[in-house]
Amino acid sequence: MKRAWFYLLLGVVSAIGLSCRTEYEAPVPYDFSDKPGSGKFTSAIRRTVDGVYAVSNGSTEFGNQVALRWTYTHDGVDTVHSLSIFSGVSAGFFSLEINQQADSLAVSGFWRKLVNASTGQAHFSLKAKRNGQLLPYTGQSLESDTLVMDGYYDTGTGSPQQKMTLTYLRPLNPAPFEIIAHRGGGRTSDLLNASENSVRIIRLASRLGAHGVELDVQYTKDSIPVLYHDNKLNLRLVQKNGLSGTINQYTYQQLKTFVRLINGEEIPTLEQALQTVVDNTELDFVWLDSKFNGPMARVQALQQRYNERARQAGRNLRIIIGLPSTEAIASYQGLANKANTPILCELDTATTRGLSANIWAPRWTLGPQTDEVNAMKAEGRDVFVWTLDETQFIEQFIGEGNFNGILSNYSSIVAYYHYTTQ
Amino acid sequence: MVFYPITRLSLLTITTPPNKSMKPSIAMLLGLFVLISVTTSRAQYSPHVDTTGAKRGPYNLVITVGGGISYYPKHIGIPATLEQTNNGRWGVPFTIRAMWYPDHRLLAGIETGWTTLYSYRGRVNGERARVYVSGVPMLLVFSMPLAWLSGTERRLTRRLAITGGTGAYLINSRLNYQGIVDAQEISIGWMVAGSYVQPVGRRVRIATELKWLNATATQDADFSLQLQLLWRAFSW
Repeated sequence: MKRAWFYLLLGVVSAIGLSCRTEYEAPVPYDFSDKPGSGKFTSAIRRTVDGVYAVSNGSTEFGNQVALRWTYTHDGVDTVHSLSIFSGVSAGFFSLEINQQADSLAVSGFWRKLVNASTGQAHFSLKAKRNGQLLPYTGQSLESDTLVMDGYYDTGTGSPQQKMTLTYLRPLNPAPFEIIAHRGGGRTSDLLNASENSVRIIRLASRLGAHGVELDVQYTKDSIPVLYHDNKLNLRLVQKNGLSGTINQYTYQQLKTFVRLINGEEIPTLEQALQTVVDNTELDFVWLDSKFNGPMARVQALQQRYNERARQAGRNLRIIIGLPSTEAIASYQGLANKANTPILCELDTATTRGLSANIWAPRWTLGPQTDEVNAMKAEGRDVFVWTLDETQFIEQFIGEGNFNGILSNYSSIVAYYHYTTQ
Repeated sequence: MVFYPITRLSLLTITTPPNKSMKPSIAMLLGLFVLISVTTSRAQYSPHVDTTGAKRGPYNLVITVGGGISYYPKHIGIPATLEQTNNGRWGVPFTIRAMWYPDHRLLAGIETGWTTLYSYRGRVNGERARVYVSGVPMLLVFSMPLAWLSGTERRLTRRLAITGGTGAYLINSRLNYQGIVDAQEISIGWMVAGSYVQPVGRRVRIATELKWLNATATQDADFSLQLQLLWRAFSW
C-alpha cells in the first residue's frame, strides 16, 4: 500500500516537474533615448566610420571582422542616427546610438545574437591610431591614421566590462544588393523587441541590416489590407485575448480594439506600414507578399499612391506586389489596369515571363540556378531568393554574385557577408 | 458477469494550476505514462481474473455522463482598450465518456463534452463588447481504478480511480462587438482527473470527479468538479 502511494506520488511529481519548460526572453538591456540629431558625429565623420573592421579584442565572441554602417530614421524634420555593427557569428549585431552627452565621439547601445537569447550592453569611442598610440578622433586626421572603435561589451554582468577593439580595414562593399528583411524586419520568434509585421519593426529594419522589407498582406472582413503572416490568430503572434479564427473574419475596428501583437503593437494597416516606410525610414524596397484571396485593387491603389509619394519625396523606393501562388496571379490578372503595378513572381521562369514581372524570386532551396538566373537578368529582371537563413548558403550565394538580393529572417547575416565581400 | 467497481482517486496535486512559466508538454504526458505504467504493472494482479488464460472476458462498455461546475484559473487577457470590464471564470461543464472495461484494470475510451472556459465584457467608447470562449474536448482517455489497494471492496480508497487522456480541444470563441464573430480553433491538449464511484445498482454507479482540462496551444485550462452517472451499456 505504502509502496503504491510512493509510486503514485513519484509519477505525479515527475509529471509536473518535467512539464516545466524554459521560456526564452531577450529583453533589450539598453534604454534608447532616440534623441534626434547627430551630436559630434557630423555627416563626414559618419561616412568615415562606415566600413569593415578587424576585431582584435572580442573576436572569440563576434568573429575576426565586422561591418559598421550608419542608418537613420526620420520623424518630420528630426533624424535619429544609429550605428549598426554586423558580425558573422550567430547572427550577431550591435545597435548603437550617439551618446550626445559625451565629450568625445561615443556611441552606446546593445548587442544581440539572433540564433540564441544572448545580449548585453556595449559602448564605444571613436579614436585614431597614430604611431601606435590611440588618440581621440575629432574628424581631423593624417593619412597614416587608422580609425579605431575602442569600447566594451557586457556578457550578462549588467555593465560592459569586456574590451572590444575594432580597427578599420576597408570600405564596405559598394556593389548594389538588396538585403530584404522577412516579415517587416524580423520574426517575433527571434525575440526582437518589436513584433513581426508591425510599424515598430519596420522602423528597426535598417538597424538590423535591411535595405528593404517584405510585408505579409491580408484583408480584414471589411476589405482593409493589414499586415499579418499566419493563417489564423494565434499565441505565436498575438497576445492572448480569447479570439481565434482568420484575419478576414474580423473587421479592422474589431482587430484594432481586441488584438495586440506579442510586443503590444496593433496590427497595422498596409497604409500605415507604407507611410512609415516612406516617411520614417531609408528603406528602398518593399515586397508586398499577397497572402489574401480576392481582388487586389486596394493593394494596387496603395502601392501606386506610395510609390508616387516616394518619387515626389525624391526617394529611390520600389514597392512591389509579390505573387507567390496561382491564386495571387489570378488576383493580379483580375486587375482592371495593370499599369504602374510592378510585380514579383515566385513561380517558374515561364510564368514570370508570361506576366512580364519585374522580379523573379525563386525559393532558395532550388539552388543557384545559374543558367536561369543569368537568363532572367539578361532580360532586365532582378532575381531575389527567399527565405534564406542558412549562413553557409548566404555566404555562398553572395560570393557567387548571381542574385540581386536575398530575403532573410537574419538580415544582419546577409549584411555582414555582403558588406565584407571584397 | 463481472462489473468491476469503478473507483477513482482525486489527484489534487495534478489539478493545482501550474504557474505562468510552466507549460504542459510531451514531458507531462510522459510523466502520466510513467504513472499509468507503474500503476498498471501493479494492477495486473487480480485474485479473481486470470488474464493469461485462454478464456478472456467478460468485457463491458460503460457510458459516463456528467456535469457540474468549472473554474478557469489562467490569465484571460482582457484588452486594455476595454473599459468597465468584468470577467467570468465559472462555467457549467458537461462530459460524456465511453469506456471499455476489459478483464484487467487499465480502462480505455474516448471522451468529449463541452465546457465554458471564460468570458469577459466591457465597453469601448460606450459601446458594449463581449468575448465568450468555450471548449469541446476530443480525447483518448485511460483510467485506472485503484482496486489493487489492499483492503476490502468497501474501503473508500478502493473506489478511487485516476483518469488521464490526450487529444485535441475545439476552442470556440464568440466576439460580440460591432457584429458577432464566431470562430474556432483546434488545440492539442490533455486531461487528468480523479474520482470516487459509489455503486447504486447492478448496472449503475454514481461518481464525483475532479478534473483538469488543459488546451496547450491556446493556453487554456479548466478545473471542474462533476457529478457523473455511469451506466454499463453492454457486456460481452
